[in-house]
Amino acid sequence: MTFYAPFCLPFILGALSMFAIVAGKWAVWLYRLPRADKMAILRGLPSRATLDAAGETICESLLHRRIFRVDPLLGYMHMSLAFGWFLLIAVGWIETVAYLGFRYVPLQGHVFFKYFATGLAHKPFFDFVMDLLLLFVLSGVALAWVKRLRSKAMGMRRTTKHVLGDRIALSALWLIFPARLVAESATCALYGGGGFLTGTLGGWMHDHLGVMASINLEAAAWWVYSSCLGLFFVAMPFSRYMHIFTEIPLIFLRRYRLRSGEKKKSYDRFQVEACSRCGICIDPCQLQNVLEIDNVQSVYFLRDRRYKMLRPEVADNCLMCGRCAAKCPVGIDLNTLRLNSRDTLRNLPDKRRYAYLKEIDRSQGAGRVGYFAGCMTLLTPRILTAMEQIFTAAREEVWWADRDGGVCCGRPLKLSGETDAARKMMRYNTDLFRKHNIATLVTSCPICLKVFREDYALEGIEVLHHSEYILRLMQSGRLRTDRGDTSYTYHDPCELGRGSGSYEQPRAVIEAIGRLLEPADTRENALCCGSSVANTAISDRQQVALARNVAAELEATGAETIVTACPLCKKAIARGAAKEVHDLAEIVAARIRR
Amino acid sequence: MAAINFGYSISKPRAIDVDRNNLRKSDEILREMPELQTCIGCGSCTAVCTAGNLTEFNFRKVHTLVRRGEYQGAYEEMNKCMLCGKCRLVCPRGINTRAVVMLIKHKLGDL
Repeated sequence: MTFYAPFCLPFILGALSMFAIVAGKWAVWLYRLPRADKMAILRGLPSRATLDAAGETICESLLHRRIFRVDPLLGYMHMSLAFGWFLLIAVGWIETVAYLGFRYVPLQGHVFFKYFATGLAHKPFFDFVMDLLLLFVLSGVALAWVKRLRSKAMGMRRTTKHVLGDRIALSALWLIFPARLVAESATCALYGGGGFLTGTLGGWMHDHLGVMASINLEAAAWWVYSSCLGLFFVAMPFSRYMHIFTEIPLIFLRRYRLRSGEKKKSYDRFQVEACSRCGICIDPCQLQNVLEIDNVQSVYFLRDRRYKMLRPEVADNCLMCGRCAAKCPVGIDLNTLRLNSRDTLRNLPDKRRYAYLKEIDRSQGAGRVGYFAGCMTLLTPRILTAMEQIFTAAREEVWWADRDGGVCCGRPLKLSGETDAARKMMRYNTDLFRKHNIATLVTSCPICLKVFREDYALEGIEVLHHSEYILRLMQSGRLRTDRGDTSYTYHDPCELGRGSGSYEQPRAVIEAIGRLLEPADTRENALCCGSSVANTAISDRQQVALARNVAAELEATGAETIVTACPLCKKAIARGAAKEVHDLAEIVAARIRR
Repeated sequence: MAAINFGYSISKPRAIDVDRNNLRKSDEILREMPELQTCIGCGSCTAVCTAGNLTEFNFRKVHTLVRRGEYQGAYEEMNKCMLCGKCRLVCPRGINTRAVVMLIKHKLGDL
């Protein structure tokens, strides 16, 4: 049996080009990894991480479990295309083995097996299973059509607007399976066999088309099927479908603890090209659903970055609230990638910059506990006063780092891409903390908190947000409060919740002094206040619109007071709210038992 | 009797001749950031400024001079800004001051 017919040519050329380009890309990306990353891979390979990664690959790349959590129908669509196609290939190989035993069969022999196997005795079991799998995939294609027409039916208010290359690849993909159905059915019409799908359709063709028409149809349909496959394979490494193969190494590298950083590096390429442009990141974006800005979301940012057409207007227009990253089914580190794009666009190493950062220590007091108010807290003196009352009530000896003016933590500058200059501030503050020999560093600002924990080298100093610190004081009995009957609703600041993973501590504090009511979007889904320091693109009017939207949701809980745990969120929400907005420290200080 | 030194002084008198200054960059800045023209010069930005608290950095002065075509030293001054964003929160005209800082730096220095 020869496994070659002229129609196989488009498929063979497409497949060869795809494998060559994908392998080439991987080789270059891996080769360019910094030495530390290469060592991490070598260390990780023989460990448990490899097994875990294999498990995650099955769960995510094939079954798409995380998309099921967004919407079950959407999950089914992605699963039927990915897992269904995988099974068609895998069961197809088993089918060839069942027919021919273990012998070498070229790739096209497996893929177009129905065409070549006409002379063999039929195995109805495989006819049935292969038809079932084809139906499984076709149902996914049908849903994909529905999604293009009405994305709402699939749990998505908006879906991605694709570029031309993606549309070509998408059209080829959608045609592959209907073409396969027609081709296999036409063969069945001439030679019999086939399951409930191809067999039935083939029988119908045989009865209604006649032999000549069926012969012509068969010849044409296999050409169309092979051409669609070939076109898809050629387009694949350059289109969104590069994600099919890129997500797999990404999962493994992530398990080997490779991470993106504030500077671009080769690992980023795995993340950028693993984006399937599914568009799940669009709906959570408040810039989209409140301000109707629809060209800056992570899907478009990654696309622009990948095709080297990223403009500062797109890179800068993001709150970096992390709502999209929390939903991303591929788990791409969206904020960090945007950060290092901004670094590329804007970072300018300047040795003379911030030369004034010396001998400006204006700190006061002494104690093992240091308190860093942060710029935003200095602008909200009620939080500062409340913290002072709490420290006094708990009889804590406190070193005040910046009550009379201090140096910014560096995170706002870092978020705008000037990472080298931000490092100077970080070094200055680190030296300051060391000089005053503190053991605990408390801050009221989650922006500072995040940078202290992630970018400062503060070994030996425990960094706490004031919500965590206050809760500790309450639990150890050093701070006694009276419970009132006021009802509160709590707004999770992005940098504290999604950014630092502190959801429970502020809630525990509020529940100790009153009744807590949760807003509709809470914890991982909490809205951003809209005034994030990460965004330098939106106007004041747009910030207020976002604040009104957040405030409306918080007020809808019916709570008497809105509570948050970030001075910036407090100021931002207050601009859109009719009710009072307080920081956690203020409501605690008001309830201290005298 | 010696006058008490309060730490303040009177600026030296000088005149800016807008007709003789090259306003090309200033025009570009105002075209990209038209809201800067709504500045009433209240100085709230400078009053709350983190860098201004530690140095002589004066955001109101620098951006006003730049708009008049006085670019000398403006880039170096703007580089003192820590971009903390307090000025944006207090601006009564809602000017996106952080974007102004970045724009002026971009036009005058980052090339």
